[in-house]
Amino acid sequence: MKLYEKTASELSEMLRSKECSALEIFEDVENRIKSVEDRVGAYITLTPDIAKKRAIEVDESFAKGEKLNVLAGIPIGIKDNISTKGIRTSCASKMLENYVPPFNATVIEKINNAGMVIMGKTNLDEFAMGSSTETSYMHITRNPHDLDRIPGGSSGGSTAAVAAGEAILTLGSDTGGSIRQPAALCGAIGLKPTYGSVSRYGLIAAASSLDQIGPIGRSVKDIAMLQDLISGYDKMDATSKNIEYPNLVDNLTANVKGMKIAVLKEFFGVGVDDSIKESVYKAIKMYEENGAEIKEISLPSTEFAIGAYHIIASAEASSNLARFDGVKYGLRAKEYNDLTDMYEKTRSEGFGDEVKRRIMLGTFVLSSGNYDVYYKKAKNLQKKVSEEFEETFVDFDVIISPTVASTASKIGEDINHPVKMYYNDSCTIAASIAGLPAITLPCGKDGNNLPIGLQLIGNKFSEQTLLNAAYTYENLCGGFNVLSQTL
Amino acid sequence: MINMSIDIKNIAKLSMLRIEDEKVEKFKKDMEAIINMVDRLPNISGELGLNYDNVMTLREDIAVQNKYTRNELLQNAPEVQAGCLVVPKTIE
Repeated sequence: MKLYEKTASELSEMLRSKECSALEIFEDVENRIKSVEDRVGAYITLTPDIAKKRAIEVDESFAKGEKLNVLAGIPIGIKDNISTKGIRTSCASKMLENYVPPFNATVIEKINNAGMVIMGKTNLDEFAMGSSTETSYMHITRNPHDLDRIPGGSSGGSTAAVAAGEAILTLGSDTGGSIRQPAALCGAIGLKPTYGSVSRYGLIAAASSLDQIGPIGRSVKDIAMLQDLISGYDKMDATSKNIEYPNLVDNLTANVKGMKIAVLKEFFGVGVDDSIKESVYKAIKMYEENGAEIKEISLPSTEFAIGAYHIIASAEASSNLARFDGVKYGLRAKEYNDLTDMYEKTRSEGFGDEVKRRIMLGTFVLSSGNYDVYYKKAKNLQKKVSEEFEETFVDFDVIISPTVASTASKIGEDINHPVKMYYNDSCTIAASIAGLPAITLPCGKDGNNLPIGLQLIGNKFSEQTLLNAAYTYENLCGGFNVLSQTL
Repeated sequence: MINMSIDIKNIAKLSMLRIEDEKVEKFKKDMEAIINMVDRLPNISGELGLNYDNVMTLREDIAVQNKYTRNELLQNAPEVQAGCLVVPKTIE
């Protein structure tokens, strides 16, 4: 077994027992990138020099007998909307094509302090707006399990990198499903943490009240390790929750005896592929046979979550993206007559059509006369959805559902059907607008040998319960085969 | 279902964007499809539903010592003169 095929927890132990060095791990992942990246296209920017330097530093620290973080020396890919000092952070947009942040996001500070090896910046839909990574200004990313298909999005580069062996772990960001949906389509594990548990400082905002950074990997333990590293209160993020964040890895247990699991009826409805329903029901049966109590429930307001989400997300995106005006950083149009002309030309040249559509949708729902009809209605529905979830978690520990209604579509198939594309996120959006943690796990394959995803949703700040349920399923499956066997 | 008609040119203007004439119809069609989807939302009465669970913790109103140099912050600027950002003339 090659080093790039191993999990972070395996590599972490190997580093400590001197079975391999951080430099060897870096070189193996680097070679893997060289052999598959031209077919997959997971990265926008590769940083081999920085990565190699870090790996050597980690080896030197180990040689001196220093006590290092469990993730020291582990290669990681970072979604290109997370600010990295001195490394271009493009958001896959022409607008930020040459933008080099003068500061690190809080999560990057933590990753650097832990001695993780940043391999590069991964592709995404422009400004994280999309579900297929096809709206990236840079290039498309292909699904490592079938190169004719999309990896999902918006964190498609991060999930493809994990499934292709081009990173051991990656960071993504999730606003309405942008970690979970691509992780499901690429057969990887992806956690969207509770809103407020991971600092958003340095994450270039799409919809600030929904955005959350989270880990993507190939084992539940790896996800727990990375979540332990990145979570925690940060005074630089006003929405960061100032509470204790107990260590998840140490308390990881594969036991669901007595755990109360709710099966969310609405997410098994029309539009969900039969093969997906079948696979998820099989998983539910496994939970039941191992002592979990299963009950079907209905959350009627989740039907409206998708509409409410698109109003709130677009409204916030239109405000957040107002900052891109060609004055302080980013693109500036070459020729213009006056200030307004410069703004309009800069923004029209710098943003792609999907971003423009969302900015305009947000402007529309916030404009005078529409605010009450759309925005206020959406915020009230958001509250209603949150309350229904809250009531559910009085009686249940975890909610189970498919992650996505269908497996990966062919490249170019859905890109011109925005409503169809938006419905793609119907199973992931509810947890987002309620601020809940949710994880996707590989759950078998369909008739085309494409990965299926199973979603577990937990109560706020119940990542431990969520990960324990995930860990149990992983053990019952005998581990997950996330890596593509066909590349 | 309300069949909302959207004035793309006007919305684009409010958004400081310009949409090419040949793309107006497509934007109009796409945005109307989305608006019609969200028009199905039921009305829930009451005050604006804010989540008081997640109130923001604001920092104290004290000036923070800047840890960046002017040059670092200007390195991404499209046009700089004498350490200042250059913009087109705004007063006639």
